Amino acid sequence: MAVPTQASESMKVQGAHDTLQSASDWDWLKDWRARGWQRFEQSPWPTRKTEDWKYTPLKSLVGTDWSLAEGGSTGQGVDFPDWERTVLTLVDGQLVDHDALPAGVSVHLLSKADAQTRARFEQRLDESLAGEGRLFNVFNQAVLAEALWLEIDPGQRLEKPIQINQVISTAASERVIPVRVLVDVGAMSEATLVETFSNEADGAVFINPVTELKLADNARLRHYHLLLETGDVRHLGSVQAELQSYANLDSFHMALGGTLKRKDIVVHHRGPGAELNLNGVYLPRGKEHIDYHTTLEHEVPHCTSQEVFRGIIGDQAKAVFNGRIHIHKHAQKTLAELSNKNLLTSHQAEVDTKPELEIYADDVKCAHGATVAQLDKTSMFYFLSRGIRREEAEVMMSFGFINELLEGLVDEPVRHLLRPMLASLFAKDDDLARHLI
Amino acid sequence: MLNIKNLQAKVEEKTILNGLNLEVKPGEVHAIMGPNGAGKSTLGHVLAGRDGYEVTGGEVDFEGRDLLDMEAEERAQSGLFLAFQYPVEIPGVSNMEFLKASVDAIRASRGQDAMTSMDFIKLARERCKAVDLPQDFLKRGVNEGFSGGEKKRNELLQMMLLEPKLCILDETDSGLDIDALQVVADGVNALRNPERSFIVVTHYQRLLDYIVPDYVHVLSKGRIIKSGGRELALELEKHGYGWIDEEVA
Amino acid sequence: MSEQFDQYLKSEYAAGWVTDVESLTIPPGLNEDVIRLISAKKHEPEWMLEWRLKAYRGWLEMQEPKWAHVKYPKPDFQALSYYSSPKSMEDRPQSLDEVDPELLRTYEKLGIPVHEQEVLAGVAVDMVFDSVSVGTTFRQKLKDAGVIFCSISEAVHEYPELVKKYLGSVVPQKDNFYAALNSAVFSDGSFVYIPKGVRCPMELSTYFRINEAKTGQFERTLIIADEGSQVSYLEGCTAPMRDENQLHAAVVELVALDDADIKYSTVQNWYPGDENGKGGIYNFVTKRGLAMNRSKISWTQVETGSAVTWKYPSCILKGDDSIGEFYSVALTSNYQQADTGTKMIHLGKNTRSTIIAKGISAKNSENSYRGLVKMNPGAEGARNYTQCDSLLIGDQCGAHTFPYIESKNPTAVVEHEATTSKVSDDQMFLCQQRGIDPEKAVSMIVNGFCKDVFKELPMEFAVEAGKLLEVSLEGAVG
Repeated sequence: MAVPTQASESMKVQGAHDTLQSASDWDWLKDWRARGWQRFEQSPWPTRKTEDWKYTPLKSLVGTDWSLAEGGSTGQGVDFPDWERTVLTLVDGQLVDHDALPAGVSVHLLSKADAQTRARFEQRLDESLAGEGRLFNVFNQAVLAEALWLEIDPGQRLEKPIQINQVISTAASERVIPVRVLVDVGAMSEATLVETFSNEADGAVFINPVTELKLADNARLRHYHLLLETGDVRHLGSVQAELQSYANLDSFHMALGGTLKRKDIVVHHRGPGAELNLNGVYLPRGKEHIDYHTTLEHEVPHCTSQEVFRGIIGDQAKAVFNGRIHIHKHAQKTLAELSNKNLLTSHQAEVDTKPELEIYADDVKCAHGATVAQLDKTSMFYFLSRGIRREEAEVMMSFGFINELLEGLVDEPVRHLLRPMLASLFAKDDDLARHLI
Repeated sequence: MLNIKNLQAKVEEKTILNGLNLEVKPGEVHAIMGPNGAGKSTLGHVLAGRDGYEVTGGEVDFEGRDLLDMEAEERAQSGLFLAFQYPVEIPGVSNMEFLKASVDAIRASRGQDAMTSMDFIKLARERCKAVDLPQDFLKRGVNEGFSGGEKKRNELLQMMLLEPKLCILDETDSGLDIDALQVVADGVNALRNPERSFIVVTHYQRLLDYIVPDYVHVLSKGRIIKSGGRELALELEKHGYGWIDEEVA
Repeated sequence: MSEQFDQYLKSEYAAGWVTDVESLTIPPGLNEDVIRLISAKKHEPEWMLEWRLKAYRGWLEMQEPKWAHVKYPKPDFQALSYYSSPKSMEDRPQSLDEVDPELLRTYEKLGIPVHEQEVLAGVAVDMVFDSVSVGTTFRQKLKDAGVIFCSISEAVHEYPELVKKYLGSVVPQKDNFYAALNSAVFSDGSFVYIPKGVRCPMELSTYFRINEAKTGQFERTLIIADEGSQVSYLEGCTAPMRDENQLHAAVVELVALDDADIKYSTVQNWYPGDENGKGGIYNFVTKRGLAMNRSKISWTQVETGSAVTWKYPSCILKGDDSIGEFYSVALTSNYQQADTGTKMIHLGKNTRSTIIAKGISAKNSENSYRGLVKMNPGAEGARNYTQCDSLLIGDQCGAHTFPYIESKNPTAVVEHEATTSKVSDDQMFLCQQRGIDPEKAVSMIVNGFCKDVFKELPMEFAVEAGKLLEVSLEGAVG
């Protein structure tokens, strides 16, 4: 049998790790990264036989010598006109600009931490949610250049949403951007967090963002995680969340464009009564490849999860969805439901989906469903019988398929941003697009 | 037939029945009325022997036997029938199969032979007609996809087949329109005879226009606080439950 | 509620006795000489031996599969004996009348009709005892219809062309670790050929019995339904209760040529081990059918036995308009583990598949559904519908669902649904209130849960399966 190749042999990133280590005077951090590097080095490089990567080959990461991005000039990123919000802009993983923070909110940067903050960072990173052996979490630890830590004090109700606006600049070609965003929402607090990713560069880029959300008792967070980069971008990252008692997380994900996007979303229900709404949309076109892996860890009783992901896959694109619900022993009275629906619109497109249930408690209600289908023929006939052209009907129905999820978004500005993007994606001519908006 | 003395019961550490007394003689129809949360449904469930209801005191004599000492199925086999407020659905188990199993069990407890399938099917079909349920309901899963009215009629169908001595109707009128109510009441009235008794648990006196009781009892805070004849129900209808609480207090 | 369940879960495995016959068992161990010995004992032609050796050499290079959701110590393949036969069978009896009556009594005791005049006269039976076929009933009647039904050992001698053409054509020698092992050492099993346009006049069945200790059973079954023919085949299995685990690694290949129809039903009741998880059969089975144009292959299985089950009866829907079906009930109790499901590979146009899988887990058992639905680019207009339901009884068991869906054709439609439920207190109370005791109530509810699958079984088997479920559940509710 062939000996599996080690990750560090397949992906050239040693330089990035070395650069970071030699530039740092923070022994704890160096040691933490070194541990990450050691694990990364020992990890086998995924192949088709690696269950988590069965349908997502990583060949687009091999070959390039990924050096560390150095932080570009200013970038625009994603704007939401007429939406008052607190924006923090990161260009190539470095904070370049931010609005004044509202009361009860503080931000710390790994790169600018004083002695006292360093001690707190050390503790926070030790309690990281992203330490569990997922390859690109391990990688993130090995080469982490910057972490942004957002703390919302207990009992705060933030009026304005906070946007973390991540921009990839033209300077990032052939660079890797490892970045970590830590968000701690205090007990009884309510906030909205919008994470956007976009690029100005056309060259090959590899971004590796890890987001950790910790919601204390009764905290509520509305969260958007929008991967809007286009062109030759590889985005491999994760979102980890932890929900304490009666915490409520409403998390919406969207991915379109890019060479390869892979997002691992892991939510831990750790306090009774916690509630999760997890929704997502993926729309790969051309030769794009989008992969969502979601895992819901129901570790305690009386929690609920509702998850809906939908995708439309066109051209020669490929989508992968893996939705795992894991009900631990004693997590009685859990309610968890997952639905994944896919539309294939081309003979060269492919979708691979696997909803999984792993259940160790009997008094639970769990269900999942997955479909792969074409547009509904009865509905199509209805359109046609009303004199609507087939192409037009297809566009309207596809859009409608996704729009069902967009309609559920509470924040109208997000809908306003996304709708025209989708319209232009589905409708080849402007006339049609206008119909949809 | 049934003699309840000082019955006390708890659900999840909360006392629901608190010293209830009631005597039911053969052939009598007793109505139990009371506001929401008075313990009406609990009484039916405790008498039928549902798990999760802890009897903390009192005694219940049914036909000379200690009812509280019997398993739920023994109680049914000895002639106690509870018509549920919310009959549960059992997917995949056909009504016919379920009814036959139930009738067989009850016949066996009376020392009777099981009916042949042919005889049983014939009987079930006849009874179906009597409660105005189409016969294909016998083939469907127990209560599966039945409307509220159909579920109640299905309960009545079971009552007819099992020929119990004591029937407890738990809010049988809830969710029924007048026509459906008429059908159910006709069925119940047809079953009335000098040996068979009924406890009719209801929130509204409407049902008692159709099933006329011999006695009416008002249940409040887990005990019967007032008893009377048919006319008591009408007074309750007029004045609500408040005046009784005041009167008793 | 749980106390009532508790009382109800002490069960006896009814088929757990041993037949006292003198056996010839070759010494434990596996190497090329052992394979030559097996082949020689069966007086096989050279080509068959070469076929086995090729499989063996492939097997040496392969790894045991690790992806299933089961845990068990790796079997020591050198500690097993690969061939065991009752001594009386060495003389190769020519008809059932010459077979040792003690062997036939084994099957009678298991309720298998061994005499053609018996009640279940509509079923022809091939009886496989450890590594050999003891006999096959109704051969003449079948022969009159042109149907071949015999042991695979006989088929190698009498129908070499058919065997050469189809053996390994659906499950290649190196398909997987256990299929390769089976191809190297397979001992006996059934062979069926239904000629063009023939509707098999009776149900065919094979009854497998492991009797000897420390042996593995490696049966091989090959069923070929020629164009426009039709057959229904049943398979049953039991083994004595023993403290050590025994290995059963079978391969079943079905070939449905154009317009043919094969229905394959299994009631698997290998010894599951005791209530502490000691002993029981490791059941590692590869079953696959190839469906040509407009043909249909239907798998129905009721799996209640074995300590560990690893089994995925599959269909390759190669022909246009072909149909694949999989109906399964898998019940695990005590420390049983089952990882079972199916693969539906849609290659042809307008192919259809249906999967109905019901898993019931009780006590400390682990029960997984694992399935693959694959729509290849050529599968225009293909459809799949999958329904997987799990029922949990008690809070110490696990129920899992791992469905893989791969689609490369936009006109193909795949629908998958899965749910998990328990026997609810409300359902139990309703039954009890109608006078039904808890034991009967659980079995009614479980039977109701499995109904969609049972209705696919031939009549006698459906009744049998219901009873088996009842027995297997005894003591399982806790």
